[in-house]
Amino acid sequence: MLPQSISSRASKLSRRDPTAPLRHIDPVLIGCTVVLSILGVIAVYSATRGPGPDFSKSYLYRQTMFMVIGAGAMVFCSVVDYRKLHDWAWSFYGITTALLVLVVSPFGSEVNGAKSWFSLGPFQMQPAEFAKLSLIGVLAFLLSEFRSDIDIRRLVALLGTAALPMALIMLQPDLGQTLILLAIMMTMMLVGGLPTKYIAVLTIVGVVGVVGALNSPLLADYQRNRLTAFVNPSDTSNAAVYNIEQSQQAIANGGITGQGLFDGPQTKLGFVPEQETDFIFTAVAEQFGFVGASMMLFLYGLLCYRIWRIAQVAKDAFGTYLCAGVLAMFAFSAFENVGMAMGIMPVTGIPLLLISAGGSSTITALAGLGLVLNVYMRRFQ
Amino acid sequence: MDTTSPRLRMSLLGVVVAACFIALFARLWYLQVLEAPELSVQATANRTRTVATEAPRGRIFDLKGRVIVDNRTSLIVSIDRNELKKVKDRDDLIARLADVLTANGAPIKISTIEKRLSEKNSDQLQAVPIATDVTEEVIHRLSEYAEDFPSVTYERKTVRVYPYGSTASNVLGYTGRITAEILKKIEPGTDPDGVEKTYQPDSTVGMAGVELTYEKELRGTPGIELVQVDFKNRPVGTESYQPPKSGNDIQLHIDIEVQMRAEQALVERLDVLRGTAQRDGAIRGAPAGSVVVLDPRDGGVVALASAPSYDPQEFAAGITQERYNQLQDINGASALIDRSITGQYAPGSTFKLVTAAAALSNGLIDANTSIYDDGVYRVGNPIQEFTNAGKEKYGNVNVVRGLTVSSDVYFYWLGDRMDGTTLIQDAATAFGFDKRTGIDLPNESAGYVLTKAEKKALSNKYPDAYPDGDWYTGDNVQLAIGQNVIVVTPLQLARAYAAFANGGTVYQPHVVWKILKPNSTTTDPSDVLRVIEPVVTGTVTLPPDVRGPIASGLEGVTSGLGTAASAFVGFDQQAFPIVGKTGTAQVDGKADTSLFASYGPALSPKWVVTAVMEESGFGAEASGEVTRRIYEVLANQALTGAGIATNGSMD
Repeated sequence: MLPQSISSRASKLSRRDPTAPLRHIDPVLIGCTVVLSILGVIAVYSATRGPGPDFSKSYLYRQTMFMVIGAGAMVFCSVVDYRKLHDWAWSFYGITTALLVLVVSPFGSEVNGAKSWFSLGPFQMQPAEFAKLSLIGVLAFLLSEFRSDIDIRRLVALLGTAALPMALIMLQPDLGQTLILLAIMMTMMLVGGLPTKYIAVLTIVGVVGVVGALNSPLLADYQRNRLTAFVNPSDTSNAAVYNIEQSQQAIANGGITGQGLFDGPQTKLGFVPEQETDFIFTAVAEQFGFVGASMMLFLYGLLCYRIWRIAQVAKDAFGTYLCAGVLAMFAFSAFENVGMAMGIMPVTGIPLLLISAGGSSTITALAGLGLVLNVYMRRFQ
Repeated sequence: MDTTSPRLRMSLLGVVVAACFIALFARLWYLQVLEAPELSVQATANRTRTVATEAPRGRIFDLKGRVIVDNRTSLIVSIDRNELKKVKDRDDLIARLADVLTANGAPIKISTIEKRLSEKNSDQLQAVPIATDVTEEVIHRLSEYAEDFPSVTYERKTVRVYPYGSTASNVLGYTGRITAEILKKIEPGTDPDGVEKTYQPDSTVGMAGVELTYEKELRGTPGIELVQVDFKNRPVGTESYQPPKSGNDIQLHIDIEVQMRAEQALVERLDVLRGTAQRDGAIRGAPAGSVVVLDPRDGGVVALASAPSYDPQEFAAGITQERYNQLQDINGASALIDRSITGQYAPGSTFKLVTAAAALSNGLIDANTSIYDDGVYRVGNPIQEFTNAGKEKYGNVNVVRGLTVSSDVYFYWLGDRMDGTTLIQDAATAFGFDKRTGIDLPNESAGYVLTKAEKKALSNKYPDAYPDGDWYTGDNVQLAIGQNVIVVTPLQLARAYAAFANGGTVYQPHVVWKILKPNSTTTDPSDVLRVIEPVVTGTVTLPPDVRGPIASGLEGVTSGLGTAASAFVGFDQQAFPIVGKTGTAQVDGKADTSLFASYGPALSPKWVVTAVMEESGFGAEASGEVTRRIYEVLANQALTGAGIATNGSMD
């Protein structure tokens, strides 16, 4: 049980209080977030302005707006004591699950064969993004309740909690987001003290499941092709192979120092598909080269390091699990997204958080970082 | 050890995440640093398309700077046969195209379009020209409704223009669309700036004549535009552009005025003779002939006529297979063969020049050595008889008279005396027979002058064609009058007479005189890139006691009792004396080949003129007549000064 007095004290900021949250913000995490967000807006603009001479600025404005909203969400998620959020976790989970049900119902909009979005006037909302955050919340809640003492009953409860949104997202279908939820679940259970034997069993089941799924009618042909394209890069009948080739050529075209901002021909001429979202890394790599792209990866890595570090210094297990979940969300999105663009991971549509265009993903990412900051700021309270 | 300790688990997570980032860095390094050069090339190839524009070919001038091959722009509407196969409303499309063409000044029937499409002239990959020289209006309409005309393409092409029509077509040759075969093996030349004149699958290339041999000079540097395209292959800009540059101009030794006269005289004479009977009653087929006019001072080719001939204009916009076949059979002869360099004929009595030179220079005879010619010469056992043409008896004959009246008996005797040696063959080789002259035109023949050993070798190699490999005295006797074991090209014959005329220098004949800069004038010396210098391929030793008697003999041919006197009646030989030799070569079962070889003016020869006419009879009455008409032009040039080139003296 948490001491009730802590949250009430936090609201009364005192200059003399050495445990005051604002004295303990993480400038490195905030710095990385701000730089990556600005880079993201620039990358999105460069990938969507077109070859000219009339450059399109709509993505620039939208992404800037999302960043501002996301900044608000980040502030909100960091100022309200995360232990209070502890009590809201199930409500948030309930709301996102309801939205996931709604989105596959006739209320959702179908884009490219997937029912992943709600149309809200000129904007779209993607509930799967928010589901990641809600899953992190409830899993952190459950794991902190279980206190590293997990038996088969509790394991089933954990798996069931994660399986519900994953199943709903597969119905859309959105394989990428499902895999991210899977990564979040596995990471949090690992950190949450799941006995090693269960981890071994889950790993075996996971491997068998992936192999089985690839050979089963559960996956559509295009999904199978996309997943296996990186394994058979010479199969030219596979449309995904073309995308990966174009993407890798664009990245290579950046060379060491890059073609310069707005001067990446592959980016400008639209050879890489979905380059403002799934393949945004190609825009960064072609324009800024190895110097710029590795700097971006370094900032991303530094961000992940800070989250990992905060997970370790958290005051309580709930905070640790929250951070582990957010770390999984960032690290595995980045690995899958960037790895796909460079041809070492399967093609699945996952945004590169903070960089890719998208309202839901940007707001989710910044809110998640807000939670991490929250945990850090309150590590002495 | 507690495997569920949060510390251990966090470390494990840290290792996994770190490993992921290290993998990303490694891959990024591989793509952007190690593999970047190769992948960037692919990327560039992906986003650019090369669009080549053919540059105008160089123009061709004659000796006096007259443009004889020029360029003009032609608008051509074509149909891509491969694309047409994919068109659903094919027949409607062709009807629509016929309508647009007809309504805009290029009337055409649907059946004509179908006929062009079904022709097998070009390889199937090529767009078939449907209408050439259409108006801008047609192009305007077709591009305005482009979606209604799939597979229909149009292009602006510079095509060859021949201000003198078919004149010199055998020399100029023609151009055509490059074939896959040529494209594979052709080596592009470079322009004066060192830029390679690359070929594309639809490039125009020289196919014959000077267009072929000087392809590297004449071809322009194609304009190469690297067009940037977007992912849907739509052009969005230009990555680089190299404008097309015209090819080098060239100036020929050919004097188009002389060339025109040669062709005209040849064709007219053939037409007159065709179907008439020669002396022994054989009907003259007179299907073909050729004329060579050389400058004996440097081997420059002043005229090279071959009949029948073709109009290169017909090839400029693409020729049909039907017409091509027609050209291969005009009065039984192909118009596509340049007989002046490819035709091989027994030289007949024109070869007596060589026999006489061999006998005189080897001391077998001198100017006064004479025999009694009773019209028949007998050799061998059993006795074989060789007679003069028409069994004419010439009485006492020395070498001078023997040449003037063309006593075969005198030369049979020389042949008999030189039997067992290769003196005649050696002299022939010295005069440039038995090997290609090396003229700068394609498809030249070498001719042959057989020796005893060669005849044997030939018979061993082709026993069916040459069953008898033995050498008889009769062979040498016949060789002495240019029959049986010898064939020569008209150009070789002209070159031998040129060597005699200039005192013994055997030149490699050349059609091209100068290579000029693109778009040059022929009057500015700074426009000359290089001059084709005369090449000496050999010499004949002609001391006065050899050359004198032969020259005297040949001088008599065109007057008095000479065999060609009839052809030169009325020609002012006081002002422009002509030296020559007739030849009448027998061909089994056909009328004789008529030959005439000559030079003039006698004392300072400026021109060698030879004519060879197939199945046309006695030397003088066919070739002699043609030669005389050419000398009318040459003498006029020499006597009025009209022969001086506008861009400097010939000397």
